Amino acid sequence: MTVLENVTVNPAASEDWTLDGGVLWFKRGEHDQLRSEREVASAMNALGARFITITAYQLPGAEGFRLEYHWDIEGRLLGFAFNIAGSTPDTARIESIVDLCEAADWIEREVHEGFGINFTGREYEPLLLREGDTPGMNLREEVKK
Amino acid sequence: MSYEIPMGPYHPALEEPYKLDMVCTGETVTDAKLHIGFNFRGIEHLAETRNYIQVIALMERVCGICSFIHTLTLCQAMEELTGVTPPPRAQYIRVAMGELERLHSHVLWAGIAAKLMGFKTMFMTCFALREKVMDVLQAISGNRVNYSMNCIGGVNRDVENPLALVEMVNDLEREMVRTIIPIFTTSSTARSRCAGIGVLTHEKAIACGVVGPVARSSGIAQDLRRDAPYAAYGEMEFDVPVEQGGDVRARLLVRALEIMESCRILRQALSGMPRGEINIGDTKLNFRTGTATSRVEAPRGEVMYSVSWKEGSRNPSRVHVRTPTFVNMPSVRWMVQGARLADTPLIQASVDPCYSCTDR
Repeated sequence: MTVLENVTVNPAASEDWTLDGGVLWFKRGEHDQLRSEREVASAMNALGARFITITAYQLPGAEGFRLEYHWDIEGRLLGFAFNIAGSTPDTARIESIVDLCEAADWIEREVHEGFGINFTGREYEPLLLREGDTPGMNLREEVKK
Repeated sequence: MSYEIPMGPYHPALEEPYKLDMVCTGETVTDAKLHIGFNFRGIEHLAETRNYIQVIALMERVCGICSFIHTLTLCQAMEELTGVTPPPRAQYIRVAMGELERLHSHVLWAGIAAKLMGFKTMFMTCFALREKVMDVLQAISGNRVNYSMNCIGGVNRDVENPLALVEMVNDLEREMVRTIIPIFTTSSTARSRCAGIGVLTHEKAIACGVVGPVARSSGIAQDLRRDAPYAAYGEMEFDVPVEQGGDVRARLLVRALEIMESCRILRQALSGMPRGEINIGDTKLNFRTGTATSRVEAPRGEVMYSVSWKEGSRNPSRVHVRTPTFVNMPSVRWMVQGARLADTPLIQASVDPCYSCTDR
């Protein structure tokens, strides 16, 4: 049984998934194919899962960011976390999934504006929340201070 | 020849701060772009500066209609982080408040839809009906908008005599069956304004990831109250109305049927409310380090909160809010394509957008 079949049958019995804080988190191993956000999006599309959102966190110091992609399948909330290095839009980059998942459009734009993360392979204009301004970064620790 | 029609940023029909730039050929809309953020408030940032009591009051202000749902979702996440479980009576009160909020939201929407259709009398009827629901919300909570009902581990106020409220629910249901649903479903004017208008196909609804009544009226049978039950919903019997049309009429029908189902749930919650405590009292709260995520079915669809905490801190380190309008509104672009310009205000209203939520 594959890691994805597990989640539709009994994820609690699988070593590939762990339940924490109300989310079934996917534990990435060396053997699996879900190593990028785009591979996850393709796999979730194939399973008929519904994209919910991306939650971004700034990691301490200069460690970069953690992006958590949430999907729903039959009422189960799935989480896939990806860490990205860098601190500026030029260096903090991750591939966009908008071409695979239209529902991710606005949240990618919002994360881009809030944290200055660059989702590559897509257009941002006009800005979603601060039209006419530069990307906001209003959720970055250094800006908040 | 095509031309552009801007609608907004203070939307003339919906009186909300957003802008829809439509490209038209003659009377027909060929494409549209939606702009939001005119009243963006930065509430997620503010939440990080508030302690675990203050943040509940803050998040109650995310939405002016579903303020209870927002604090419920937040409190459920914080309960996960503190390891506390609300008593059964609190869970039933949460269901009752959630359904009363759904009733007042759906009836309010019906009134606005009636106004946009040109049914001014129906607008007044709907708002008179909504007023009755608001009276009950005020009788329970002491407030008409921000109810201050939820706390970590339960609710702040009891429902003194739940059975006395059942009659109000019956009254509301009678009025819906006698007046509002027949007019919306049988009137030729309503039919001509709604049927086949603003269609969101099943395939496009899936692609856009829409939620709530917008999804259910495009044939997607999803409802967190049934699929991932919270509070006392696992003990309630109800149906999830689904329509296949994807047009304004389908969205109207789904909400009308949901009003009936809310009445059904309310009767069960009020008559079966167990005795006992309504919260965990003065128990000391110890937040663990980590993130908890909670989801609730608001009147407009799924609300999701991710709340992060560091042990020993009084404030959350991050609160992320995903509101239903944030995912439903982009689908308007597809709904208005091919529509007559005159139908676009009603099409946008049929999503029941909330810009207080969106510009959180």
